[in-house]
Amino acid sequence: MLMKKTFIILGILGVLGVFALIAVVAAVGSYNGLVNLQQGVDAQWAQVQNVFQRRADLIPNLVNTVAGAANFEKSTLTAITEARASVGKVTLDPTKAPIDAAQLAEFERAQGSLGSALSRLLVVSERYPDLKATGNFATLQAQLEGSENRIAVERGRFNDTALAYNAAIKRVPAVFYAAMFGFKERPYFAAAPAAQNAPEVKFDFSAKP
Amino acid sequence: MRRLRLTFFSLVLGFVVVVSHGAETLPPKPSAYFNDYAGLIPAASARALDSRLAQFERETSNQIVVVVFPRMESKSSVEDYTVRIAQNWGVGQKGRNNGAVLFAFMAERQLRIEAGYGLEGALPDAICLAIITNELAPRFRAGDFAGGFDAAITGMIAATRGEYRGTGRIAGDRSPSGTARSRQQSLPPWMVIVLFLAFVVASHFLKRLNPRSSRYGGGRGWSSGTGWSSGGGGGGGGFSGGGGSFGGGGASGKW
Repeated sequence: MLMKKTFIILGILGVLGVFALIAVVAAVGSYNGLVNLQQGVDAQWAQVQNVFQRRADLIPNLVNTVAGAANFEKSTLTAITEARASVGKVTLDPTKAPIDAAQLAEFERAQGSLGSALSRLLVVSERYPDLKATGNFATLQAQLEGSENRIAVERGRFNDTALAYNAAIKRVPAVFYAAMFGFKERPYFAAAPAAQNAPEVKFDFSAKP
Repeated sequence: MRRLRLTFFSLVLGFVVVVSHGAETLPPKPSAYFNDYAGLIPAASARALDSRLAQFERETSNQIVVVVFPRMESKSSVEDYTVRIAQNWGVGQKGRNNGAVLFAFMAERQLRIEAGYGLEGALPDAICLAIITNELAPRFRAGDFAGGFDAAITGMIAATRGEYRGTGRIAGDRSPSGTARSRQQSLPPWMVIVLFLAFVVASHFLKRLNPRSSRYGGGRGWSSGTGWSSGGGGGGGGFSGGGGSFGGGGASGKW
């Protein structure tokens, strides 16, 4: 009788021990999963910075080419130079995705104003057939469009990786200890900024502003 | 005890939950380099272009895929749609990302070249644009589709030839099961071992508690029902994506 009771107690203890072991192993696995996801977000952030930098690098060449065109609108060029300068002021750590949503919004606002200044330049350049005819400008235009497209792709992927990470730290095993280990929620890029910044095309052929 | 079993099983189930997120249905991976889904050019020319592109992969490991769709099956922009297709197909070798895809959407008269990360240097946006506007668009306008593709492929091959060394083989030569295995997600091995041990220990103790019950006898193990099915014909030789990545490089144009 006593023998059987001991077996029962031992059995229950054993089962509990196994559950504890499983819980620990699962926690370790979950933690490692979070680390991987966080690294993914940071890697994608580096990629985002990369494509924004690519666009910024195009600007001196673009401005030089355009400024060479006969009496090109100075206000457009000034807008671009100013927007680029303001982009340079918003410096975020390129190796780590921002944690502060306001910081990301500020970065996005600066980049957005540069983007709209550049698309305005492309619209204005339609009025300069000589400029458009130069091969250099056509190349720059293709590069600029490619840069904008790369930005759209990488920021979309950033949002995807951030979504996966944010969802993971809020799911059940992780939600209990994510904050403890410093896994903070990462902000997203605002959706479809291109739609808001689309250049206004006016078909006004009568006079130059 | 029943409750304990339930907890145990739900615990196990919890590990195996697969997260799937819905997406727009992208066209399935092609099995050729030149894919004319619109029936645009004669089959013989298509085969010739296809074998040229296969040969190019043998020589340089670069994967160039051409695909002609009757229309664009997406409400998204052409750049967004094509980069997702190219990424999904994994054109280019893993690590090198040396793939490029030329898209033609007939109803929209839309052309697009997507260059993988590894070919952005050899095939910059301006070159892609030049291939579209100088090689493809004029020939397409004249109705010479086969000639347009031929010239575009020549241009893309010329631009990307020096970039990487080939192995004399194509990704499609690999055994199909090998590629399927790497794509399938599974439990990490240590997790499987731990679960197995836990099951053995648990069943041992449960058996001790009630020796007459044969329910927990050794016969019932974890049989993983996920056999690797090797879909598609063996032998290889056709196009098979090497796992290359795309970042939106390339150019678009109309004819």
